[in-house]
Order: sequence, then C-alpha cells, then structure tokens
Amino acid sequence: MGEAPREAAAVHDSYDRALPFGMHRVFGAMNVLGTLWILALMVLINLDVFGRNLLAAPVRGVTEMVSLSIVGIVFLQLADTLRTGRFTRADILLDRLKRTRPALGDALQALFHLVGLALMVVILLASWAPLAEAVRIREYVGAVGDFQAPVWPVRLITLAGLCATALCFALLAGMDIRRMLRRREAAA
Amino acid sequence: QQVIKLTAAAGHPPTFLWVKTIEDTFIPELDKRLAAGGNKYKVEWTRAWGGTLVKLGSESKGIADGVADMGIVSTIFEAPKFPLQNVSYYTPFGTEDMELVSRTVADLQRTMPAMADAWTKNNLVYLGGMSLDTYHIWTKFPLTKLEDLQGKKISAPGPSANWIRGTGAVAVAGNLNTYYEDIKSGVSDGALTFVTGAWGAKLHEVAPYITKVNIGSQFAGGIAMNKTRFDRLPPEVQAAIRGAADAWTAQYAKAQAAAAATLMQNMLQAGAKVSELSEPERKRWADALSPVGKTWAADAQGKGLPGSEVLNAYSAALVKAGTKMPRDWTK
Amino acid sequence: MSSVTIALGSLVLMLVLIYAGLHVAITLGLLSFIGVWLIRGDAGVAANLLAQAVSDAIASHIFGVVPLFVLTGFLVARADVGKDAFEVANQAFRRIRGGLGVATVAANAVFAAITGISIASAAVFSRVAVPQMLRFGYQPKFAVGVVAGSSVLGMLIPPSLLMILYGFLSEQSVGDLFTAGIVPGLLLAFAFSVAIVLMAWGRPSLVYRNGEVQPIADEALMPVGEMLRKMVPIVLLIGMVLGGIYAGFFTATEAGAVGALLALVIAVLRRKLTWRSFWEVLTETGHVTVAVSFLIICASIYTRMLAMSGTPQALVEWMAAAGLGVAAFLLLYVLLILLLGTIIDSSSIMLIVLPLMLPIAQQFGLNLIWFGVITVVAVEVGLLTPPFGLSVYVIKSTLGKTVDISLGDIFRGTAPFTLTMLVVLGLLLVFPQLSLVLLK
Ligand code: NA
Ligand code: NA
Repeated sequence: MGEAPREAAAVHDSYDRALPFGMHRVFGAMNVLGTLWILALMVLINLDVFGRNLLAAPVRGVTEMVSLSIVGIVFLQLADTLRTGRFTRADILLDRLKRTRPALGDALQALFHLVGLALMVVILLASWAPLAEAVRIREYVGAVGDFQAPVWPVRLITLAGLCATALCFALLAGMDIRRMLRRREAAA
Repeated sequence: QQVIKLTAAAGHPPTFLWVKTIEDTFIPELDKRLAAGGNKYKVEWTRAWGGTLVKLGSESKGIADGVADMGIVSTIFEAPKFPLQNVSYYTPFGTEDMELVSRTVADLQRTMPAMADAWTKNNLVYLGGMSLDTYHIWTKFPLTKLEDLQGKKISAPGPSANWIRGTGAVAVAGNLNTYYEDIKSGVSDGALTFVTGAWGAKLHEVAPYITKVNIGSQFAGGIAMNKTRFDRLPPEVQAAIRGAADAWTAQYAKAQAAAAATLMQNMLQAGAKVSELSEPERKRWADALSPVGKTWAADAQGKGLPGSEVLNAYSAALVKAGTKMPRDWTK
Repeated sequence: MSSVTIALGSLVLMLVLIYAGLHVAITLGLLSFIGVWLIRGDAGVAANLLAQAVSDAIASHIFGVVPLFVLTGFLVARADVGKDAFEVANQAFRRIRGGLGVATVAANAVFAAITGISIASAAVFSRVAVPQMLRFGYQPKFAVGVVAGSSVLGMLIPPSLLMILYGFLSEQSVGDLFTAGIVPGLLLAFAFSVAIVLMAWGRPSLVYRNGEVQPIADEALMPVGEMLRKMVPIVLLIGMVLGGIYAGFFTATEAGAVGALLALVIAVLRRKLTWRSFWEVLTETGHVTVAVSFLIICASIYTRMLAMSGTPQALVEWMAAAGLGVAAFLLLYVLLILLLGTIIDSSSIMLIVLPLMLPIAQQFGLNLIWFGVITVVAVEVGLLTPPFGLSVYVIKSTLGKTVDISLGDIFRGTAPFTLTMLVVLGLLLVFPQLSLVLLK
C-alpha cells in the first residue's frame, strides 16, 4: 500500500497506481463489466441490423436498450477512468507547480479531489429518490404490449458508480495529502 | 405590485403548437388577467423550451423538483408515471376529433381519482390537456389494402408498435427525428404518425404516399405546475393561472386542428399522393391487431390501477359522442 | 444578485478553475450547482437538476453508439489499417507539403458521409491519423489541429444531426438542407487543405517537428502493387460501411456497431489482435467514452443552469427587439452563435437561438436553407473554441497517454483551422449561391 517515502519526490500525482484497501481492484472489476457491456452493445446492434435485413426480424427494443446502456456503462467505468487519470483537465498550472512547488501542487490536487468528492456526494444524495421511485412505480422503457425493460437496474448501477467515484476521489485526496506530508518530512 | 418569478419549460421546441401557444396565448392571457385584477401581481417569465432546461421524458420530474415552475408534461413519453392517461393509444381507430379526446380524458381525470392522482402524486397541478391530430401512415409505396403492408418495415415506436403487429408489417423503432433518415436510407418503408409531426419531419419528401387511416387522435399530455409553488400563490393568481390555462387549452385545440388541415394541403401541393383507406380495409386492419386494449387494462390492473374501468369509460364516451369504432377494444 | 450576474460570474470562474487544473467536468458541475443554488435559493433544486442530468443527458441512441465509433477507431489503428493507409498517402502526397494533413482532411470528408456526429470523427481520427502524422515528422500540435478542424465536416456533409434539428425548427426540407451542405462542406475541406499547404510552405515550423519535411528516399518507395495491397483493408471497410448505409441496410447511427464489427474481423484476419491486446483496446474504449460522456453530462448541466438564468434567452430577445438592418442582423447573429459556442453545446445553441431568430430571418426574406447552412457552420465553430470545445476535449481524451500534449496546445494547434472556418463562414455569408447552387 502506497509508495516508499524515497519515491515521493519523483511522484507528482496519485493516478494510475494502487489505491488503499485494494480499491483499484474493485473499480477495475466494475470497469471490466462496463467493457463487456460495450461489446454486448456491438453484438446487439449488429443482431438487429442482420435480423432486420436477412430475416425480416428486427430485435425489438434495441434503441431503448442502447439509450439505457450508455448511462450504465459510463457510471460503471467512471471510478476507474478517474483512477487512471483520464478525466480531462488543463495541466499547465499543475505541471509548473510540480516542478517549482511540488508540495503546493500536492495540496492543490488534494483540494481538487475533495471538490470532486463533494460534487459526487451532492449528486448521490439527489439520486436516491429517483431510484426508489423507479422501483416503486416499476418504471420501464418501451411500451405496454411491446418491448419493455425495467429502469431500476441502470439507476442502481448509476448510484453504485457514483459511490465508487466519490470513494475514488476521497482516496486520491488522501494519497495527495500523504505525499505532501512526506515531502515536508523529507525536506525537514 | 408584487412580482412573481416563474420559469416555464418544455422538452419540445416552440415549433410544436402546444409550446407556441404557451408563448402566444397562455402567457399574454395570464398577464391580461392579472392586469384586469388590479395589477396587484405581475409575473416575470423565464422561458426554456426545446429541452434546454428539462428534457422530453423528464418534464414532470423537472417541474415537480422545482427546476422549472410550470410547463408542458408529455404524458406519452412518461407512460410509467401516467399509465392511465395513455388510454387512447390502446383504443386505436377511435376518433379524429381532438377536442373529443381531450374532453374525454379531462372528464375521466375529474371523475376517476386514480387518474387525477397521477398528477398530484407527482407534486403537480394539472391545468389543461392537449391531444395530437389523428395518426395516418406515410409510405414509400401505395397502400389501398391491408395486404400492401405485408413484409414492409414501418417506423412505429412505443405503443404505436401495437398498431402494426399483426398486419404483416414489422414495426421498427425510431422517433420524429429519425424517421426521415430511416425511410430515406431504407431502414423502414414508412411511418405511422400525425400530420403536424410529419410536416416537421418532412416525411412526404421520402414517403410520398399518405394514406389517411385515421388511427385516431391521441391524448398527449398537458400544461402543469409545481404543486408546492401553486399552493403558495395568492388565490387570485391561482384563478388567473387556471383561466389562462383554459384559454390555452381551447386555443391549442383550435390551432392544432387548423394546422393539421393546412399542412395536409401543403404536403399535397408538395407532390404527396394523399388517399383515404376504405372503411372495410380500415376494419380489417383493426381486426388484425391483438386485443391491445385488454392487454393494457390487464397490465394496469396488475399494478393496482383501474385499467378496465378507464378503458370502458373511455370507449363508451367515444361511442356516445357518435364515433363508429371498427372494433370494441374492451373485449 | 441577478441571474445574469450569476451566469457571467460563473463564466469567469470557469476560466479560472479550468486554468488552475480542476477537472473540466467537475468545474462545469460545481459552477452549475452553485449557480442554480443562487438563482433558486434552494440547494435541493440544484442537486436535483444535477441528478436529473446524470440520468437523462446522455440517455439516447445517438450517444449510445459513441463507444462503438471509438472502438472502430481503436481497432482500425490496432490492425495497422490506418498505418498502411497513411504510408500509402505519405508516398502518394510526397510532393505536396503538408501532404498527410491534406490526406487526413480528405479522409475526414469521406468519413463525414458515414457519421452524423462530429465527436465520432474526432475520436476515430485521433487514434488513426495523429500517430501516423507524428511518425512522419509532423508537429503534434499540427496533427491534432488537423483532426479537430476536420471533425466539423461530419455535421456539414450529409448525414448531419444538426441539419435535421434545423429542419425541424425551421420547417425547411431536410433533403434540401443536406444538399445545401455538400458544397460548403467540400469548400471547407478545400480551405483546410489550402491552409495546410500554405502553413507548410510559409511557416514549416508550425507543421513539421524540426521545421522541415521528412523526405522519403527513392529506394524506400513502395511499388504500386504494394500500395494497392495496403489500401485494400481501408477501402473494404469504408466501402462496406458506406455501401451499407446507402443501400439501406443500416443507419449512420448504427454504422458505429457495424464498423466496429468489420474492423474487428479485419484485425483478427490480419492476426493483429491477441486476447490481451483486444482487452486493452476495449478498456481504453471504455475510458475514452466515459471521459467524453461525463464531460457531456456536465456540459448539459451547465447549459441547464444558463437556461435557468435566462441569460442566453435575454440576449436573443434583446437582439430580436433591436430593430437591426439585415446586414447588422446577420453579423450579430453569427457573433451571438460564436459567443454561445464558446461554452454551450451545438444542439442547445440552436434550440435557444433559432425560435426567436428564424422569424426575423423570415421577415428579412432570407433564404432559410442558406440561413441553416450559416447556422450549422457557426455553431460548429464552437466545437473548436475554448473554454468548452468538445472536439478538442474528445481528442485529448482519445489520445490519453499515447501522445503527450496539453489541452492548451491542442487549442493552439486548432486555432489556424478555427480561423479558416471563420473565413469560409464569411464566404458563405457573402455568397449564398455556394450553399444553394445544387438546389433546384
Ligand atoms: Na455527416
Ligand atoms: Na466552444
């Protein structure tokens, strides 16, 4: 867990490394599910295209499934995308700080990750009610008498993904702070 | 003078008359009524149409949450929240009289608590309803008898898929935004839709055969306000809002009917070939479908809602008004 | 604090926070949350708005296929299909300075006929074209600039989702709009090519890494037979996808799935794919899709906050009431769109602006098809302009760690193409015939 103190000086951010409590494995597993889901989408749409053209048998509900799926995929993979440092940002200031004031850079990164954590918590808190509602009214996409699929699994996955991302933000902030403290120790 | 700030929203852009008439009728009418009431109150509007604030399918939640204060709720895109409001989609080949459909649903909402509850449970105050002009079919091929549909792919999403299954044609998913490309590229051979929508999508350019089937005018939703917000308003403002909404309901119905007639003429002039499906063929089409009314009612009953009662009452109201239904959907 | 102040304040803070390095998506989400809270005086409403956007902003068929377009691009790159094609192009265009840039523009014009969304073009070409241009000695900044610039062709050359939306809002024929987009689309591609060649001659340091062309030795030239052989996979892939769309087997939206399957088959047949590398490609596809989608969700949240503030609406209403002459109207209209384009996504701009501007355009007797072309080009400039330039963000995400280039450098590399677009926009404004020549 974590890197040796000696390396701290060379390490400038918390991305793409092992997380405390082995959480990177959990986020990685969620990512795998999302990846398989993308593959399933490809197969599903092609089945519809081929079924429609060769057998006059379209796969009903593909449009609805694709619309729902993309939300599920994004939130399944959100935490891992964050962990691997793939959230888009401008690095100009942070890069300069890494060279000139590394401890300040660490502090700023920690602050940013805490802001991300706060935002995720806000969205999380407001996402419970829609999930409960989706279960209560048995919300579906499609239509009665035609294709129907329940909405709650995707709402649940979204919630799980938001939780994971919030946790990831928290762990990254913790790593930033620890790195900053080690830098202080090394300097002292 | 007290200023009341209100945000109005809709998932559709003002190209659609139910949105346009909020701008042209509801808002001026409300201003007029408030002015006539002694100018004690004035509404300052923020308008956000076209899904820029709340998306189609999330309108009721957006208004209930207070993201917007009022606006259009398209119940057809929120069937799980408004199951009973969609009764007209499960009684196809009904009436082309939009007014009749709107009035019938309004009556049902008044008399059946389960239907009115759909609005109040969602923290909404229902102010007035709207219907779509009757559905016809736009195709690449001439259509005079049911057999012409055999093996064809017809764009018919959601509940309208039930109007295709059994005819020998295959229902293909899509929406007004995709029909044009779908038909042009051959993904489908035609679409079931209503005149005012078809004109917006320019369907006659790719599917020039318009066959008037009269699958029926459909209840599509209405104008609604956040209940918490409404209840806090002074009674005279509430009354003015209700009055303006009534004016909106009447004006929308009139404008939509006029538009449907004009736009059908426009398509004809643009080279579309318009014909009417014969009454016997229309009956054959209706008879070919599965008992969609019963299926729908059973589904609603299963959720503890009075589906059969609503279905019976709706059909009875249409028949009582003189509609000749080719098929009794309650059976 | 008035709503307009809140909206403008959020804009200033956005610039500061993005520059400081807060993740762009988080910046947009955070400012929107605070903005809505201030406008409504209720944090609960703000939180609900965010949660709502999370569940519905990308929940559509059109966004759903984005990962499949990304996957297609990655597979084409992994199977060396792109590499082969660019080797051939490099040799074929070796007498033209900036030849690979021109080839990328041309390839984008062809790809534009496959897709109706610009982010698909940006994602595919970041992985296919950028590494190849780097391999042949081009500047990273230039390579990404070409890809960002030419990604806008996707919306001009039919099919185009923005044209369909405009058709709806303006009651104009979608077919006419598609036709009207062809010449401006080709003109834009031509203008990009001219700009590339001019840059390569006039300021080679902008185009080449060492400021000079990397020559090909005569003995290294491929024989014609080898060139043809190397082109087979790409021609097959594009031919089958284009053919499939025009024969009516599938739509441009579904083309992502079919393209991915075909690319997969080609990669397997060429033995370029192991289980391990296939898995890497899939994981990478996921990360890119997520980074882009999350950005789109947060941009949608920001647009909703702005809509709630009423600021864009007020701007449009002010313009509508200003009683302008036709020339002033057109100029201000384009400026307004360019301004909104810096922060708002393409279709939202059209939904905000057109309902009030179309009646004015009609009063002036302007040709609404031409007006549509102008609108779409002006709106698409926004894909390239900071702080929120979606094409640039897509490129940044797609490149990931394969190419080390900062967001700022991508924007800088894109700038010449943004300027070229503005020049073409000017031409289209002055010469309506360019848009209307193919009609009637
Ligand atoms: Na295109
Ligand atoms: Na922009």
